[in-house]
Amino acid sequence: MNGFSAILRREVTGLFLTPLAWVLLVAAVSLNGFLCVAALMGNGGDVDGTFNFLLGSSGAYWMLMITLPPLLTMRSISEELKGGQLEFLLTAPVTDGAVVLGKHLAVVLFLAVLWSVVPMYGLVLEIQGVSPDWGQLGLGYLGAVLVSALFAALGMVASAMSSTPLLAAFLGFIFNITILLLPMGAGALGGTIGGLVKALANKLNVLLHLQTSFMRGALDSADIIFFVAWTGLFLFAATRIVEGRRMWS
Amino acid sequence: MIDVQKITRRFGALTAVEDLTFQVTRGEVVGFLGLNGAGKSTTMRMLTGYLPATSGNIKIAGHDVLTESLKVRRSIGYLAEGVPLYREHRVSEMLAFQGRLFGMKRSEIKRRSEEVLDRVGLSDRSRSLVGKLSKGMRQRVGIAVALLHEPEVLILDEPTSGLDPLQRVGVRKLIAELAEEHTVMISSHILPEIEAVAGRLILLHHGTKVADGTKAELLAKLGGSHLKLVVAAASAKPNALKEDLQGLLSGEDKKREGAVFVREAGESIEALVRVEKNPSASIGLLASARGWILSELSWHEPSLEQLFGRLATGSAEDGLDSPSERAPDYREIVEVKA
Repeated sequence: MNGFSAILRREVTGLFLTPLAWVLLVAAVSLNGFLCVAALMGNGGDVDGTFNFLLGSSGAYWMLMITLPPLLTMRSISEELKGGQLEFLLTAPVTDGAVVLGKHLAVVLFLAVLWSVVPMYGLVLEIQGVSPDWGQLGLGYLGAVLVSALFAALGMVASAMSSTPLLAAFLGFIFNITILLLPMGAGALGGTIGGLVKALANKLNVLLHLQTSFMRGALDSADIIFFVAWTGLFLFAATRIVEGRRMWS
Repeated sequence: MIDVQKITRRFGALTAVEDLTFQVTRGEVVGFLGLNGAGKSTTMRMLTGYLPATSGNIKIAGHDVLTESLKVRRSIGYLAEGVPLYREHRVSEMLAFQGRLFGMKRSEIKRRSEEVLDRVGLSDRSRSLVGKLSKGMRQRVGIAVALLHEPEVLILDEPTSGLDPLQRVGVRKLIAELAEEHTVMISSHILPEIEAVAGRLILLHHGTKVADGTKAELLAKLGGSHLKLVVAAASAKPNALKEDLQGLLSGEDKKREGAVFVREAGESIEALVRVEKNPSASIGLLASARGWILSELSWHEPSLEQLFGRLATGSAEDGLDSPSERAPDYREIVEVKA
């Protein structure tokens, strides 16, 4: 992976130099802070229930998961293909895969920082004398990072396919919503195609893998493999699309 | 250093480059000329490995561009058209990023950054944001970035495009200096820019090579250089003048059909002599011996635009719109009948 670390470093720096990233960070942290306080007050001080709500069962969690990764990945490839920076990168001794992976991991690191605010709330409560279940909280956080990585990989595919960042973001939302809702909608489908969609939906049930493992506080390596494998597959697809677009540039 | 063998690049039905072959030796400066869409950028992208050729082979510094792409990229410093740099970074950060991409050590990056910034005259701008620099400065930063890892081959695609005349002179001077240490391939559609820095020229038109050589070689091949002579009618006879001028010709010049044209123009006689080398000294001696009263003796060489126009259109016409820019058309001259 020649040049991977150089690209990762530049992308992380680049993200933190973008106003949009800071706006998203502040908005997400504020929303999570508000939800944390509201949930604690609403459920009579159930700390673990609050963190379960913040890291998986709230609508706000999924809204952030669907919207944030595409907004962060939208510029990654589409803008650089247009602006020529990708040509600059791919004429350096760097493979296409290293470029895609470096850019993806930078977005995942940013989202990991963003979601780290939830364990911070746990720390605040710990200092106040109420100890959360750190195992469950830690796994909930890991789950959030893995879901972010999966959706960011889909965002990379969208960015590689699009000619403008706006289109990339829109396509990313559509991909994420489709993947998330596919298992629910696929049940009603019939016929051969419906059967294939159902089979795919069973293999790609994000919600199920998050609920059965990370939200329960019981780690199953199969669930980690699920997220890593699908993320890898989508990154591979993004790399091939970049290669294809390079051929026609 | 660069060995290009029969490369063709197609984009669907469109053939951008067809059957292009050329070699560049170490230390040579080669200018790629062509109109917009001639295939210059496509060829340069194929040289860098960014774009694979549909057919044909390219070797750079002994490495195949397709099978040893990463090795080829290490030996190339490439400045793409439009200078695609990260505008949100400082100049020093951009150089450090390039250094890390090429696996350079931190101390080496620091040393080379200082050297290349000094080289391009931007030592005092290392803390400036790339996006805040003028276009000319950005162009120089692009060259500094391309130079950082000490490449053997420099490939510069339209490095003076969009610059004002002063900035163009600066970048041109810099490229001329770089040519002393690197093998340089430079492309432009502004022909005088290339003429100023490149020893050898490759002319592309519709994706094919229409000429390859030094400007002198192209002039010799295509002709067009001539001497203009204006003599007072009272001091010479047109026919005698024509014979005397024909007597000065030798070698290829002598074989050329219609090498000397003479016509009467009021009180004067005008003569045009198509020759490869300026014969002014011999003409001076002849004029002195014959007692001609010369009111004009001038040497004219076609510009690259005129040569390119002829090659591109495949005719004696140069394809330029402005009559003042056009090469002299000998057919316009009415020859004196003997």
